[in-house]
Amino acid sequence: MNKVLISVLGSDQPGIMAKVASIINQHNGNIENLSQTLLDNVFGALLMANLAEDDSAEKLEQSLQDQTRGMNLYIRVHPWQAEPSDWHQNKPETQPYIVTAIGPDRQGLVAEIAGELFKHGVNISNIQAIFKGGKNPMDNLMVFEVDVPRAVVMNDLRDALDAIASRLELEIHVQHRRIFESVSNILN
Amino acid sequence: MLTPKEIISTLQMVREENLDLRTVTVGINLTDCVSDDIETFKRKIYDKITRTAGQLVATCNRIERRYGIEVANKRISVSPIGVVGAPFNADQMVEIALTLDKAAIELGVDFVGGFSALVEKGMSRGDQALIEAIPQALTESQRVCSSVNVASTRAGLNMDAIKRMGVVIKQAAAMTADDDGLAAAKLVVFANIPQDVPFMAGAYLGIGEADAVVSVGVSGPGVVKAALERAMAEEDNMDLSRAADVIKQTAARLTRAGELVGREVAEILGLPFGIVDLSLAPTPNENDSVGEIFEAIGLPVIGAPGSTAFLAMLNDAVKKGGAFASSHVGGLSGAFIPVCEDLTIARSAAEGTLALEKLEAMTAVCSVGLDMIALPGDTSAEMLSAIIADEMAIGVINKKTTAARLIPAPGKQAGDHVVFGGLLGEGPVMAVNMGNQENRFVRLGGRIPAPIQSLVN
Repeated sequence: MNKVLISVLGSDQPGIMAKVASIINQHNGNIENLSQTLLDNVFGALLMANLAEDDSAEKLEQSLQDQTRGMNLYIRVHPWQAEPSDWHQNKPETQPYIVTAIGPDRQGLVAEIAGELFKHGVNISNIQAIFKGGKNPMDNLMVFEVDVPRAVVMNDLRDALDAIASRLELEIHVQHRRIFESVSNILN
Repeated sequence: MLTPKEIISTLQMVREENLDLRTVTVGINLTDCVSDDIETFKRKIYDKITRTAGQLVATCNRIERRYGIEVANKRISVSPIGVVGAPFNADQMVEIALTLDKAAIELGVDFVGGFSALVEKGMSRGDQALIEAIPQALTESQRVCSSVNVASTRAGLNMDAIKRMGVVIKQAAAMTADDDGLAAAKLVVFANIPQDVPFMAGAYLGIGEADAVVSVGVSGPGVVKAALERAMAEEDNMDLSRAADVIKQTAARLTRAGELVGREVAEILGLPFGIVDLSLAPTPNENDSVGEIFEAIGLPVIGAPGSTAFLAMLNDAVKKGGAFASSHVGGLSGAFIPVCEDLTIARSAAEGTLALEKLEAMTAVCSVGLDMIALPGDTSAEMLSAIIADEMAIGVINKKTTAARLIPAPGKQAGDHVVFGGLLGEGPVMAVNMGNQENRFVRLGGRIPAPIQSLVN
């Protein structure tokens, strides 16, 4: 097993995936899993690949960087031993919640909320921001999808987040994920 | 991962559009409490109610926080007292009502329904005693609601009962004259009453129901209005077919929220889940009005020509959306058009753009009937009965539920203003054509036979 983690960042344009994948293929590597996202016009991808035994992360990184010159990409390749973190090894039983912060963007918003979640042992599984500006509160929204261990006292977590909300003049809601799923998804 | 659209639309429903669970109602069967000793009966019903629903309020509060959805009311419905309290006289029936009230106060629930009689074909002794007790029972209790089913499609109209109810309503209003006749606002007369309504004042637990069951009433006229307004503003090819789709989809989403909460409360209480009643039930607040939906679709005001057609479409689309979203939709499920509980409908009635006659026509296609209508204090008992008979006939012939909740406000004239407070709201006193006159038709009594079920034209 010669696993590597590949990160690709840069301006979105056609051909990024085609190029990266074909170079991995030239190295006789196999892509085992991948995910890509767009943040405004910025492309980001994370790939997990298995390389040939005589290949290495350094060599692959060199080829990727050489062959994508001109595309303005930041590409890194790291050797990867698939050792899950403590959290994943001893994962407590959790409940999925959605934390939404409504209100204008301000410095420290993510740090404060994420910090408080961390303090309570809560893991963030996804985070997205919808900041369109303007007065419509729904256009200034930060969404944290989180896993809350059963041991967490929800009222304590809510009180702590409420304190942040009043300090930062935000509105913070903590709702179980199921309400979003049942209201949005007719086919479940 | 949830999409931003899914998150935003759910948040909007809760934050801005007044999605609430109007009620989580625990139905409690009291047939096993039957006794011919009034003290024993009172003790048994008090114990059973407080034992079965002891955790209702605390559980609802917990679920409310978990999902961020308000549960506006927690309620109890019981077996019809006219049946389970059959051995007792009217004075003892009042004592039973006060026992129900005491249990409701102890539990912290908002209303208890089921001080009820089913008399569509005839009255038993217990029914008679209960009906006689209604005015005093509703005057002396705070949270008890009463309903009397006087007609059904299979039995026809019991005109003796309807005649009696005109008198009872007058008495109830007179005994609470200082509060504009408030007791009458807690009393509703039905045709084809469903056995599983969670909404008041008609909630009771039918004889065919379980020993105890949790049902939910979901509301959300504000959500439907906002969805229609958004679609009207954003979509180029808006027509009524599309509007019906928008209402249907919105109704489905509301129903899902209700079922989620209802099932969870039922599970925690260890009781079976009954039904979701998705009814557009307004409160006297902006953005929570059924009348506003009529304006959103382009009618000048509720009551204008076109209102009946749109109400028919609205009621049907709500039912279709609800039925798709949950296999156990029940109760009334549709659109309510109460006058005093709905800001816009009350305004339209006050300005004279909505008259009693138009309201009656609209009840042929809404989910309940003439609801929360304040009438002049001098409306005769016979005319009240006649209004009820008209409303019941609409339900009986059309095989649907209809109801009348009429409040002849003592000392008030048409155009005066009455205030009942809370969810019951306030509104104008509506004029009744020849309201203070006699009505010999009603005096005849007897029964109007059940309608033929063939030759349907």
